[in-house]
Amino acid sequence: MSNLTKRYGARVAVDNVSFEVGRGEVVGFLGPNGAGKTTTLRILAGVLGPTSGSVTVAGHDLVHASLEARRHIGYMPEAVPLYPEMRVVEYLRFRAELKLVARSQRARFVDEAMDKAGVLEVAHRTIDHLSKGFRQRVGIADAILAKPPVIVLDEPTAGLDPNQIRHARALVRELGREHTVVVSTHILSEVEACATRVLLIHQGRLVAQGSTSDIRAMRQAVAVEVTVRGNAAAAHEALRASAGVVSVQRIETLEMVQPFARFRATFEGALSAEDQQGATERIVSAVVGAGLGVSEVRACGGSLEDVFASLTKDTGAPPE
Amino acid sequence: MRSFWPIYKREMFAFFVTPLAWVLIVAFLVVQGMHFFLVIDHLARQVDIAGDETPLTAFFGNTVLLYLVLFMLVPPMTMRAFAEERRSGTVETLMSGPVSSTAVVLAKYAAALTTYIVMWVPTVLYLVILARTGALDRRAAASAYLGILLVGGAYLALGTCASSLARSQFIAMIWTALALLVLFIVGMGEFVTREGTLVHDVCVHVSVWGHMNDFASGIVDSRHLVFYGTLIVLPLFIATRAVEAWRWA
Repeated sequence: MSNLTKRYGARVAVDNVSFEVGRGEVVGFLGPNGAGKTTTLRILAGVLGPTSGSVTVAGHDLVHASLEARRHIGYMPEAVPLYPEMRVVEYLRFRAELKLVARSQRARFVDEAMDKAGVLEVAHRTIDHLSKGFRQRVGIADAILAKPPVIVLDEPTAGLDPNQIRHARALVRELGREHTVVVSTHILSEVEACATRVLLIHQGRLVAQGSTSDIRAMRQAVAVEVTVRGNAAAAHEALRASAGVVSVQRIETLEMVQPFARFRATFEGALSAEDQQGATERIVSAVVGAGLGVSEVRACGGSLEDVFASLTKDTGAPPE
Repeated sequence: MRSFWPIYKREMFAFFVTPLAWVLIVAFLVVQGMHFFLVIDHLARQVDIAGDETPLTAFFGNTVLLYLVLFMLVPPMTMRAFAEERRSGTVETLMSGPVSSTAVVLAKYAAALTTYIVMWVPTVLYLVILARTGALDRRAAASAYLGILLVGGAYLALGTCASSLARSQFIAMIWTALALLVLFIVGMGEFVTREGTLVHDVCVHVSVWGHMNDFASGIVDSRHLVFYGTLIVLPLFIATRAVEAWRWA
């Protein structure tokens, strides 16, 4: 995908995005809502045409050899639209025929897809009567049906309960063994759970990309918040003295039955995750050593918002 | 075009698994049954058969009943074609497959046309009744059905086109009904404009009423064939372009 731009009138939804996804990769497409994820994926799936730029899927240009390119993609849209009046197996048979699966292989492909996606038990139920979780799985079954080299899933875990989310993530990881998978999400931990590489998109622009561990590094905590019981001044001193801490700031003082104070201790910039852990432990032992009580320790930063904030600081635009 | 067949099958499935097609067919047959009864009753009461009116010409031509039922039935047959898929989002999964816009439009149109033909098939029984009780001009009957097929084909093409352009089923239905009515009323202009003027000629040329009268009397005019050919191809072409345009919206 190179120099992809999509405009809706004057609004630029996707701005000059280029990336490449290799065979067998699971790429997480990460960004806040409205960042242009869905638009990019819809272009990738051949549903939308780009305003400019080009997309090549398995060697086929999506604009000039559209049908051939679309044969190599399995796409599941965000809302998982299905025909409500059909039974699951009827729907998948229809999709298999539509995706030009040879007649002799259709039944087998449908069975395999249903098995992988875990919808065998509802094969003969009408789609109208399926729960959200099963509908999502039927959508995934459809995406993998024709065994395309590239699978595009738009928010495959949206609207699922925690159990179903775990199942869906495991499925995505498993798909990554045989297919190239592109998954979009606005949840950071989701990408870490199933992707090998991450693309961060913000306001239609690709702001960063890297391996999952790169992103994990990006989201490491920048500070800890410590709530201390006892003498606030002594606590402040103990925190200052801890190694790895560059600054300490009192956020609030609570006068309850006993005095509490909440501090923010900011780490040195270049600390690794292990060093941070050590620093946090030293902070706690310093406070305890000073004869004070620690009632809460919380890492600050590291959320998706913080990552975006740090990445988009230059543009000055705050993320949602 | 390989995607024509699966989409056609799915459309037929959607028509007949939901009550819509059955409701339409039943409504159609009830109205047509009453219509046939009225025609026969009317002719049977006439002491001397005046002019050249036969049950056939009276059933297929010179009656507003034929058009009334088409105005009521064609819009709901085609309104879902694209508007429904766009509303529910299934158009996205559909178009992400290796399908061409032409195949999608033709498959949906063909499914509607098939349903329309299925709707008319039982009326052949009326001809059987006529043939048993009197002389039936088989060629005129064939020509009348050809007319029915062409008029229906054109109406359904207009409906398919409206569905591809409209955002909702309801709007598609209104547009279709409006288009059919306007076409019909312009044709009716034949009777209110002065003969010899251009307006009159245009009205005569597009008069569905006049065309059906010809077909019902066994006249197959090549001008009519060209007219309906155009009225089928043009809306379907526009629909194809519309489907193509969603991609670039």
